[in-house]
Amino acid sequence: MATGAETAARAEPAAGRSRRSWRGHGWWVFAAFLVLMAAWAAVPELFMPFDSDRLNPLRRLLSPLAVSDDGRHLAGTDSLGRDLFSQMIRGTRLTLYIAVVATTIGAAVGVLVGMLAGYFGGLPDRLLMRLGEAQTAMPMFLVAILLLSMLGPSVVILIVVLPTLVWPIFARVVRAETLQVREATYIEAAVATGCTVPAVLFTHVLPNVVPRILVLYVVEIGHVMLAEAGLSFLGVGVQPPDVTWGLLIADGRPLLTVAWWLTILPGVLLGVVVLSLNMLSRRFEQYAGAAA
Amino acid sequence: MPTPQTPAAGRPDGPAAGGLVLLILRRLRDGIITLALVVAVIFVLTNLVGDPALVYAPVDATDEEVERLARAFGLDDPFLQRFAEYFVDVFTGDFGDSHWQKRPALNAVFDALPNTIMLTLAGIAGAAVFGIIGGIMAGARPGSVFDRVNNLTSVAALSVPNFWLGLLLIVVFSLRLGLFPTSGKLGWSSIVLPAATVAIVHGGRIFQLVRSATVEEMSKPYVLVARSKGFPRRTVLWRHVLRNTGLTTATIAGWEYVRLWGGAVFAIEWVFAWPGIGTLMINAAHRQDFFVLQAAVIIAGAFVVTSNLLVDLMYRAIDNRVKAS
Repeated sequence: MATGAETAARAEPAAGRSRRSWRGHGWWVFAAFLVLMAAWAAVPELFMPFDSDRLNPLRRLLSPLAVSDDGRHLAGTDSLGRDLFSQMIRGTRLTLYIAVVATTIGAAVGVLVGMLAGYFGGLPDRLLMRLGEAQTAMPMFLVAILLLSMLGPSVVILIVVLPTLVWPIFARVVRAETLQVREATYIEAAVATGCTVPAVLFTHVLPNVVPRILVLYVVEIGHVMLAEAGLSFLGVGVQPPDVTWGLLIADGRPLLTVAWWLTILPGVLLGVVVLSLNMLSRRFEQYAGAAA
Repeated sequence: MPTPQTPAAGRPDGPAAGGLVLLILRRLRDGIITLALVVAVIFVLTNLVGDPALVYAPVDATDEEVERLARAFGLDDPFLQRFAEYFVDVFTGDFGDSHWQKRPALNAVFDALPNTIMLTLAGIAGAAVFGIIGGIMAGARPGSVFDRVNNLTSVAALSVPNFWLGLLLIVVFSLRLGLFPTSGKLGWSSIVLPAATVAIVHGGRIFQLVRSATVEEMSKPYVLVARSKGFPRRTVLWRHVLRNTGLTTATIAGWEYVRLWGGAVFAIEWVFAWPGIGTLMINAAHRQDFFVLQAAVIIAGAFVVTSNLLVDLMYRAIDNRVKAS
């Protein structure tokens, strides 16, 4: 119940918000940018101006746009002379991979729990939702730190821990939608004609909740990216030699006084990606609102 | 004080059956269950996932030494017995000794606690001022330049990692302008940057929510009636609309405070080396000091549960009074 009013407040604006501010086609820019990020993740070699791992003591700590013998360094170089822009491109794959996989797992669990709770009601509903509530009240980020520092940080454990942060949100939204859908005549008809419970849930209930799930999914990918960056920054997430944007920020921190770009630029990239996800999700929200 | 029996219509949590007292008791019970769950989860994590003796033993310990350590910790006892003992220990305040600070873990946590409380309160105060005033002004005129600029700014503030924002403030205000210290806690100026970081991020979220609530409220018929009767927009906004959105607004700010304790503030502390729970916890994690880590997580969990409870009760208490009058 912790965030009940909050979700309520968040769910309303589509109706009241002025359409004017969103009529433009600005969202194409954000979508195009995300496509570019997907391309960086898929084939980083195509985009990297330099070998991201090549050390070169002669070009240490060059500031952004500086030119070395090898060419121009858009984002400067780090203390070992590696090109930061190439490193950021290299980090895209793992950053996106962790966020997408973890969010997908969380969404799948949340949707299933939400549908079951909403469809059956009664005791299973109360148990499942209480579990979600209890977990929302728990400082999961701290539990994640505890767990990761005990087991030793690893990408696999991150992918297990991160979904725990998002599944209750999906469960709550899907449950509310399912409660409404359940009363529809076509559900009654489906049950009367002998549909099994999984058939009802997946062919009749699920399609109705997809728009809301999609809106949420896009936002939560961004939240998971921020959580991963946080854990990696605190030293309990992704470890070198793997690279994510959060880790690049952490790596740059000791050099903040001499080379601000090592910390600031990867954060800008991460921020723009999350911003794009937020903007796209708002766009979807309008479609979902219009369709309903 | 009368306890009205009005059924709580339209509340996501279903009708509140009894009076306020019953409600408080029920919420208190829920809170205690949640806290017990936190403790249980931590016990299971520390005892099933890892081998505590192996973790506490020095790196070069022989098998016998590890075994001796295990016996000293009582790790040979049956699982359920250890579980019960752990519960008793935790609720009597015995969290074990920090092998890093050479003193009880709880003392280390209690030393850090006031600093975190100070930072979270300063941060949420700033966030509430900016978020609420900005949100109301933007929500009153959706689509205006003020609305658009602030809307975009707040979405941007929500999109960047909070610790990164802290680093950015350090670069600009400490390194470039030299206005505030980069880190630590030396005098009042040390709290400015970490509190500003909290205020920007959480003010952004408060802004978003207050704005939507105001936009929604402004579209209700009574606003149109008041406006057509000739009340100036400003009067309608600050006299009528605000009275109706006030409850939501207070709750929004309350939940942002809970969110801080849920983990949002700890990375910011780490950035500024602010000597609070977060910094203590990360230091403990890096030193494998699990007693301190457990104590910190449980105490922070207690804060989350308590503030959750208070916000929830505040919401219902105000709501009931509104209904009664």
